[in-house]
Amino acid sequence: MEPLIPEKAKISPFLVFFLVHTMQFGIGILGFQRLIALTAGYDAWISVIIAGLSIHVILWMMYRILDTVNGDIMSANSYVFGKKVGRLITLPYVLYFLCVALTTLRTFIEVVQVWMFQDMSTFWYAFAFCVLAIYIIFGGFRIVTGIAFFGVVLPSYLIFTFFFTFPYADLRNLLPVFDHSIKDLVKAAYQMSLTYLGYEVLLFFYPFIKDPQKSKKWAHFGVFFTTILYTAITIITFSYFSEGQLQKNIWATLTIWKVVEMPFVERFEYIGIANWNIVILPNLCIALWCGSRILKRAVHLKQKYGVLLLTTIVLITINFFKTREQINTLISYTGKISFFLNYVYIPLLFILVLIVKKVKK
Amino acid sequence: MKILISLLILSTILAGCIQKEIVDDVNLETGAAYDYTDGKIRGTALVPVYLSDKTVENKTFSSSSNLSRDFLRDVQRQSSDPLVSGSLKVVLFGERLAKEKGILDLIDSFQRDPSIGARLYLAVTEGDSKAVINGSYGERGNAIYLSNLIRHNMNSKDVPKTDLQRFLFDFNQKGKTPYLPRIKKLNKKAVEISGLSFFRYGHVVDTIPPDKMFYFKLLVDKYSKGTLKVNLGKDAAAIESIRSNYKMNLVSRKPLKVNIRIKVKAILNEYSGIRVTPKKIKMIEKKLEEEIEVECLKLTKRFQSKNIDPVGFGHFIKSKTRKFNYSKWEADYRYLKMNVQADVTITESGVID
Amino acid sequence: MGWFSKQDKVLERETLEKTLKRSNDFKKVSYINEPTNKQFSFWFISTLIDENILQENVLPYLLEKPFEKIEDVKKIIALADVQISNNPSEIEQKLFNGYALLTLESDSHHFVFLAAHKELVRSISPPEVEFSVIGPKEAFVESINQNVNLIRKRLPVKELIVQELIVGSLSKTKVSILYLEGIVDPANVKTVMERLKNIKFDAITDSSYIVQLISDNKNSPFPQLLDTERPDRVTAILAEGKIAIFVDGSPHALITPTTLVEFFSSFEDYFLNWMLSSFFRLIRLFAVAFSILVTPIYVAALSYHYELIPTDLMNTLVTSRRDIPLPPILEALFLELTIELLREAGARLPTKVGQTIGIVGGIVIGTASVEAGLTSNVLLIIVALAALASFTTPVYKMGNAIRLLRFPFLFFAELWGLLGIVLCFCFLMTHLLRLTSLNRPFLEPLYPPRITDLKDSLIRLPFSKQSLRPQTLRTKKPVRYPFNNKSDIDE
Repeated sequence: MEPLIPEKAKISPFLVFFLVHTMQFGIGILGFQRLIALTAGYDAWISVIIAGLSIHVILWMMYRILDTVNGDIMSANSYVFGKKVGRLITLPYVLYFLCVALTTLRTFIEVVQVWMFQDMSTFWYAFAFCVLAIYIIFGGFRIVTGIAFFGVVLPSYLIFTFFFTFPYADLRNLLPVFDHSIKDLVKAAYQMSLTYLGYEVLLFFYPFIKDPQKSKKWAHFGVFFTTILYTAITIITFSYFSEGQLQKNIWATLTIWKVVEMPFVERFEYIGIANWNIVILPNLCIALWCGSRILKRAVHLKQKYGVLLLTTIVLITINFFKTREQINTLISYTGKISFFLNYVYIPLLFILVLIVKKVKK
Repeated sequence: MKILISLLILSTILAGCIQKEIVDDVNLETGAAYDYTDGKIRGTALVPVYLSDKTVENKTFSSSSNLSRDFLRDVQRQSSDPLVSGSLKVVLFGERLAKEKGILDLIDSFQRDPSIGARLYLAVTEGDSKAVINGSYGERGNAIYLSNLIRHNMNSKDVPKTDLQRFLFDFNQKGKTPYLPRIKKLNKKAVEISGLSFFRYGHVVDTIPPDKMFYFKLLVDKYSKGTLKVNLGKDAAAIESIRSNYKMNLVSRKPLKVNIRIKVKAILNEYSGIRVTPKKIKMIEKKLEEEIEVECLKLTKRFQSKNIDPVGFGHFIKSKTRKFNYSKWEADYRYLKMNVQADVTITESGVID
Repeated sequence: MGWFSKQDKVLERETLEKTLKRSNDFKKVSYINEPTNKQFSFWFISTLIDENILQENVLPYLLEKPFEKIEDVKKIIALADVQISNNPSEIEQKLFNGYALLTLESDSHHFVFLAAHKELVRSISPPEVEFSVIGPKEAFVESINQNVNLIRKRLPVKELIVQELIVGSLSKTKVSILYLEGIVDPANVKTVMERLKNIKFDAITDSSYIVQLISDNKNSPFPQLLDTERPDRVTAILAEGKIAIFVDGSPHALITPTTLVEFFSSFEDYFLNWMLSSFFRLIRLFAVAFSILVTPIYVAALSYHYELIPTDLMNTLVTSRRDIPLPPILEALFLELTIELLREAGARLPTKVGQTIGIVGGIVIGTASVEAGLTSNVLLIIVALAALASFTTPVYKMGNAIRLLRFPFLFFAELWGLLGIVLCFCFLMTHLLRLTSLNRPFLEPLYPPRITDLKDSLIRLPFSKQSLRPQTLRTKKPVRYPFNNKSDIDE
């Protein structure tokens, strides 16, 4: 029933760290600080931690589901609902991943259009990017993982650029701690979780992991690492900006880069944005790969054609998002769907799988 | 199939390209000056002209309009190469503009423009800023001269560190008000920093002269290389390599009382008396402490009377209070009691005694 | 071949003789053996035969000693390699391999092959491409026997297996595969043998042909088999568990499977101290990155990102570009093409003229173009440094690939500035990720990351830490030599 994945297409469990981490670390990090500070003020860094820790619970549930059915999410759906219904229920994921791919690409191009090249055409850059994504996905899942690996390792030096904010930092901005109600913190945690999304791709590439039991700790470590990074950046941002200033800056992280000054390069944000290309490339590739994989499993469309189809749809629809509001709407819809899929559907599926498992015994 | 691919690649090349800004075909606006004359804002752009013998000539373009940054558009009609503002280093505001109209609109445009850096230096000029920017200072262009002047004074002398980022930080911070250095033109070839201007809602409401800048810097910034002269009766002593640190302490809430503790470490550099004994050093230290305490308190009281808070008492108290109410603070600020405590240590006195 | 009638065999021999007679260097000579009065004749290709062997070791005995049947010949001739055969189809192959044919008048079905090769081969000389200051200075020559000799004397163990095959329908080139049994992964050997057997080509004159015919990815500028002319390098890799391929007529041996990092290591690294060699390897990597990226960054910064340029440099750059009519991209292309022209011209000219032209070209053209206002002096320095840096790759084939890479980067830099450079870099990275060498990922040990293998990739750790064979080869004996446990102070 499950198509067998050849050994040479599988990845080692250690690489799951990079896959999970890179999917979470995408375009959200450039401007998430404003949103969470709106709800919980400068205590929002606590919300960041709360949201991050809640993911471990969901991740644990995901692993339990996948271990029981020993396959990907479509196998889990089929296990609970039967083959036909299982397939039908998994299909909306294609739409979801299309939205994710679209959001990632459009928001990145928007950043480039605002910060670097005001007259860059959306379509042609998206086209070149999609050609690259197709080239990567056609190489197989190992190549996609390779890009994820390099997408984490190569831009990691960017962390050091945040050290330039230390002369400007005023940690008193964060005091007094816990000045907001728990309700505010939870609301901000909800908003933060929309930025954290991405770990659900584990549901789709689980069959491609050699020795999935060993990968559990790496996946959790990946999520933990993301949480730490986001918290650190939040605290740095909060100490760098005053509250009123932060509310005005749409992309706070990029504004921070404006202050980086090195002897051989005067304005760092252009290098930073160019490097961001490498950070979001794996996001796009993994999203397209997952979408085409569902198409292959559900409707038996060859993955090569699936990728081409999805890329064409992305390229056509990307032209419809022209203004800031439209892009914002897209982001918020994708976020809401994502939250529902992860925090509502997964626990539901978890309970159902346990019930069905007991029944089948 | 192959034709389709080649067509697509060709189209990418032709349609996907972006406008170039080749570095020698653009005029880099390195400095800007804004004045308020006849109800209009007059903007002046300073552009360096790089001559073939490696010298730099300064060229300015001026234009007036009602909108703040609009002048750039008008100025393009006077300039042979397009003006770009990515290299902006220093912006000067004329005194009248800063006092009467306020600089908030201009600051907003600097924030909004993605090509302007965060380390942009801002300053207020005595008199018209256009006159100041129209000099010929130094050999590398006015903008570099002015920005270097401001920078080295901030790093090692009495001017407290401030640039666009810090200005915006202070301005948007609810318990603090911003400040900028003042520049005065001495003659066609020289300028000097002549004090600090303090802002409230974008308007200049107060200024302090250069000799008071030292004490202000002790209150808001850390020193690393300052110098100071002090009199002891008929002898004078000069200390340098001053390193300072300040710490605020909330003593009581009702009545609101804040204690500022300033720690200063210095090296004795010059002494006009005969010999420096440990007793003399102690006397110098004590005299310094007195002076610092008196002057700093005077400054804080002066700020209180003018209803500005560049030291940041509001921000400090907010960090210690839960559910801080800013509107209440606006009223309470004038009842705040401040106390300054100075602690001076002279570590070395040079190689002789 | 029972059904092969004896008449057909004679017919075949006569047809063969007719074709061979068309070449003037085919000689057929007859003699009479004195004691028995039997006539015998030699067939041989005079340009391939060392006639002295026939004169001294064969002819005197055949003329004087008696023999009746063809089997007796073996007993009387003073030659080691004497083969008796009755298969006419072997004649062509043996004749052209330096054997002389001896046939008796009485017996028209059997003939004797006598080994009398004349090997004209260059003597062993120092390596030209992979020169090293210290270390052995023997390099391979064109004869496969000599080359295998050089390896055999360095690895005098029975595990060193040499397997031969013939490839090439016209050139019938002898190809040998060397590996150490018990250390190498047998699947690798099988793959190599299969690929070599499947080659369909007519004339194979050099090992580079083999590289192109058996590479995993033929559409990549990066070579997937490492070529070397040093026997010590081949010995080292055989000991690691890799396979060496020798081609007759080529002084370069091929090594497979390889990874990208091997192309940036010169064998001299193993002769120096590990700290020095790690430093040199890092310099090489930096030089490669520098030579690919620096001109595109210049073009991108000057065309689109003037804000990046530090203030102090601005004066120099603007002044240097002031009088240039060309935009930065055309200026850069002009200089790059000039350097490529210089390189190609320098490669074609004979040595004496080549040196002068190199100096003339480099200095005069460079200075003159700056004076004429065609290029800026800053760009001239950058392009010259980049060209210099690209010469640091120890492997010639990789150096050529690097030369090519610069142009797509320039093109992307012109299109989208820094963003284009990063996009092109992503394309390059994907391409390298997709490459495989003998079905192993080309980018190992960088990806998939194998920490233990990193000890000999970008840096080289001391021999005490190199006691394990590379994981990527999946060898049967992972431990090379036992290493001592550390002891405490004064123990």
